[in-house]
Amino acid sequence: MALDFDPAIIGKIFEETDPVAVSAQEIKDFCAAVGETNPWYTDEEAARKGPYGELVAPPLFALTFRNGRHFFQNIPRFGKGGFDAGRDVEFINPVRAGDQITLVSHVKEIYEKTGRSGAMYFVTVRSTVKNQKNEVVAHIDHRFMGRL
Amino acid sequence: MATILDLHSHSEASEDSRAPVEAYLNWIRLRRQERPVDGIVLTEHRQFNRDGDYRALEDKFGIMILKATEAETDYGHMLVFGVNEDILHRFDFANVRIPAQELIDEVARMGGVVVPCHPGRPTVGLCEHYASRPPLQNVVAVELLNGGSRRGEDERTAELVAKYGYRATGGSDSHLVSLIGVCATRFEADIRDIEGLVRELKSGRYEPVDFRAPRKAVPRAIPEQTA
Amino acid sequence: MHSLEDVQIGDNIGPEPLFLSKDRVRAYCNAAGLAGVPRFTDDELARKEGLPGMITPGNMSAALVGKLVTDWAQPMNGRLVRLGTTYRSPVLPEHHLTLQGFVTQVDHGERTAELDIWIENEDGDRLVTATATVKFPPKA
Repeated sequence: MALDFDPAIIGKIFEETDPVAVSAQEIKDFCAAVGETNPWYTDEEAARKGPYGELVAPPLFALTFRNGRHFFQNIPRFGKGGFDAGRDVEFINPVRAGDQITLVSHVKEIYEKTGRSGAMYFVTVRSTVKNQKNEVVAHIDHRFMGRL
Repeated sequence: MATILDLHSHSEASEDSRAPVEAYLNWIRLRRQERPVDGIVLTEHRQFNRDGDYRALEDKFGIMILKATEAETDYGHMLVFGVNEDILHRFDFANVRIPAQELIDEVARMGGVVVPCHPGRPTVGLCEHYASRPPLQNVVAVELLNGGSRRGEDERTAELVAKYGYRATGGSDSHLVSLIGVCATRFEADIRDIEGLVRELKSGRYEPVDFRAPRKAVPRAIPEQTA
Repeated sequence: MHSLEDVQIGDNIGPEPLFLSKDRVRAYCNAAGLAGVPRFTDDELARKEGLPGMITPGNMSAALVGKLVTDWAQPMNGRLVRLGTTYRSPVLPEHHLTLQGFVTQVDHGERTAELDIWIENEDGDRLVTATATVKFPPKA
């Protein structure tokens, strides 16, 4: 089965999430789970003397913000099943404790190739992560694939 | 004089690699003691990078850079060497369902040669397709050593090579700068260009070579879940 | 290593041993809003999805790769500005993994270094591969 989709979905913003508040405790829990001990991320007092002047999250914390289900509601599901193929992340500004984070997302590209699991489609969703000051925290290209 | 070529690599022209060709050449220069390759073949996915001109880099580094294609067929992925205008006119490499037998025969007729790569890999390799369909005709060689193989995949290819008497090549399948040249092919002949490579793949003497450090011994026992 | 001037192509990043217990993977899921995703938290339910057992979330692998990079870069005041990950095979908990990489490019004009990083298992199979860009402050 060849890949069939409406090209109009490419580039169209399909989701803008409601703001999510980030607490210092959430940042600390994340650090504990990944073994992060740098005081810029784990200790408010030490962080005040660090490069950001306050507690910030490690860069990869930006990946914990997620889209809702709009993607699957707004574009046709191809085939069955899906796998996480990877991420390309550009880090612009740190997430700070107390931030209100939103995601704005669109489909960047869709293509097909054959992989270890047979004929596959690849979808890249680009999400821009922003804080309450409308500053860009990160651009995340999320690549996922599914069987055709 | 022998020639050692990494016959399988992906530069930033492939959608799943970010490796600039110059970074590959820098890495080869740095690691030439352990990976003594004379050249690399860029086998970009589903395309022939017609516009890529690497002559200045070849001169700067003294490393040969040849161009080929990794095509996707109904028998898995295959490297196409000697891509020319006739072949490009005949096949659309963006098609992920190119009929393999047609590709092998037509490319040979038009002056190139097709080498199925990573045959032991699930779905995209020859072995799995041979399990359910008749073997392909006129296969001259397959890639026996692939730098991206998981344990067991190249071993599966070795059985295929023994069964069908194919010649064997090697290539890194590098998508990362630091993996270029980990596997390669040693040709007895002196190869200077893509025509020479096609000629030798069809009728010359060659063997795959493995420049990887031996796989290290690490504990395999999985401890009980820690509380 | 104090600055980009000390960084050379071929420098090692790691290697570091990495052992992810199931509880640690669950702790990540709790911290990252994935606690309700059975393939990351429950062997039985993961097997029902056709997986060999519970697997590590891709974002957790990315975070561990990112930490290897920032641990290397921060003493030189380098900042992680880009990370690209490719998930080649599921990362299963309770295995003896290795995190490692190399400096592959150095650009003194842009003040950046490019790195290759990967997570490999006991067989030397690369489960996750990544490239990263680290930006360094201007030359002192």
